[in-house]
Amino acid sequence: MAQITQTNGLFQQDDSARDRLNAVNACKRRFLRQDVTATLIVFAALVLVPQLPFVKGWMLSQASLAIIFIIAALGISILVGYTGLVSVGHGGFLAIGAYTSALLTKYYAVDLVVGIIAATLVSAFFGALLALVFLRLSGAFMAIGTLGFAFFVGTVVNNVPIFEGRDGILLDDNVVLGMEIGDFGFYYVSIVTLAVMTLFVYCIVNSGTGRAFMALRDSENAAMSSGVNRLLYRTLAFSISAGITGSAGALNAHIVNYVSAEVFADIWFSVDILMAVVVGGPALLFGPYLGGIFVVMLPFFLEELADFAFIMKGVVLILVLRFAQQGVGEVMFRPIQNYRRRKLMEAGGAKVD
Amino acid sequence: MTDAAQSPGSEHLRCENIRVSFGGVVACDNLSLTVPRGKIIGLIGPNGAGKTTLFNVLTRFQEFDSGHIYYEGRQIDNSRPHHMVHMGLSRTFQNINLFGNQTTMKNIMTGAHNLMGDPFSAMFWLPGARKREKEAEDRALEIADMLHLVPELESIVGTLPYGYQKRVELARALASKPSILLLDEPVAGCNDEETAELKDLVFKVNRQMGVSVLLVEHDMSMVMQVCDYIYVINFGANLAEGTPEEVRKNPDVIAAYLGDEEDQA
Repeated sequence: MAQITQTNGLFQQDDSARDRLNAVNACKRRFLRQDVTATLIVFAALVLVPQLPFVKGWMLSQASLAIIFIIAALGISILVGYTGLVSVGHGGFLAIGAYTSALLTKYYAVDLVVGIIAATLVSAFFGALLALVFLRLSGAFMAIGTLGFAFFVGTVVNNVPIFEGRDGILLDDNVVLGMEIGDFGFYYVSIVTLAVMTLFVYCIVNSGTGRAFMALRDSENAAMSSGVNRLLYRTLAFSISAGITGSAGALNAHIVNYVSAEVFADIWFSVDILMAVVVGGPALLFGPYLGGIFVVMLPFFLEELADFAFIMKGVVLILVLRFAQQGVGEVMFRPIQNYRRRKLMEAGGAKVD
Repeated sequence: MTDAAQSPGSEHLRCENIRVSFGGVVACDNLSLTVPRGKIIGLIGPNGAGKTTLFNVLTRFQEFDSGHIYYEGRQIDNSRPHHMVHMGLSRTFQNINLFGNQTTMKNIMTGAHNLMGDPFSAMFWLPGARKREKEAEDRALEIADMLHLVPELESIVGTLPYGYQKRVELARALASKPSILLLDEPVAGCNDEETAELKDLVFKVNRQMGVSVLLVEHDMSMVMQVCDYIYVINFGANLAEGTPEEVRKNPDVIAAYLGDEEDQA
């Protein structure tokens, strides 16, 4: 046992204790976190997609769509995975982001980058505002409330004249820094947005703020006794989540330069985003990547059986909820996690059985 | 805060005439107690005496009908639970209340939430926030070492044995650099070995770190050995108080625990 004596207000360990801590720290460094590694691999693959010789224009826009869903799923993962609140209405924030950017582009001819940033901020603002309503509800009631929000947004864009309902708003070609960009350019704008949002989510989750979110998810009482302000942190999570999803909405408006109520009043967006994050792994950085690609690519791979995709998604969702509640990503990482834990126990001087 | 308020033996946490009722049931009736700085105070009483209710009032998890609570002489009747740890008051739970599917390290680090600063500088990893994070990490490692938790730092706490979980909860409470620690039955359900270990730890925390302790406990051997002063409550009211020696000999206390001789006859 380490002899601990008080010096300068804290403890000082003897040599054997310091050795043990060093061993544990060294061991931690040796294992690059598998979640981050897997995410980086998929991200690198996405960066390389346009370089592949057989990729045609329509494949590229399909890949762009996958990226948009990954971003949206990253947004909802903050809420569902890390804070433990369920939203079935994130399509509403997608629509808010899309129409923010579309209206700014139509009436003020703003840059695509400005559009994305504005969409993020406006969605985050509405997220914070709505959090004050939704956070009064709990569990299933909150889920129903968010669903109501998605319907509400749908009704508004369908009926308020400025949104031009089902006729939709047709936009000019995308412009970034004064230059018109084509499909390739747009793809890289999406990639950069994805990189920024992934980094943002990583930073949140690995900070004290993220720990506070997870504390609220796992035990409200314990979180409060640790000094976490419940309302402040849940509002923050809601706002961040809405903001990230809003940026995906802006990209979704510009991918075909057209927004209409036909697309954005649809609650299937909300369901698909939620499903992506549940299937991939809500509390993993890699989860939204896995889930986003799954949701977008499934109808694509089913080709003429694309209508069958709904049923397939349902089956997969049931299987995941039954056999892998932490998502498919977690199942993939489990062996590595066990190995890592065994190594740490050895480093810490524990007997491993 | 003056030096006088910080000196050992001065009043640290005090409650006055606390009354709590649930419908028609009065759980606490005119309860008063004082925790002096740097001392270990025991709060004992038979089952249903109102110990945990008073404990939850002091940590502001429970509303009360009348009375006052003072922290370092300042009235804190309207504080919320999440304010307490920022003042320096940290608690544990009777039934273990950990973040079950997180690692030991994350649990301890969450305990240092009050030291992390504002959420925005933390989530953008601003330099000040990273410095505070590093300090919290070092401290968490030191606490983990003190409580013999180092080998389990990366284990999911939900999978750890009971005694470990009790220690993780203590570690989490200590991570916030508390000046007073409220422990709700820290050795309930522990075996003799775990009890002895936790007893030493509570003693160490108090004597070496100078943390005041309020201990709610059923285990008489622990209470009698570590406490400087003991409050006994029964049926929601103060029954007796004094040093462990005095309380042990107090006829009212013996009657409350063992029943009156006349009752038994």
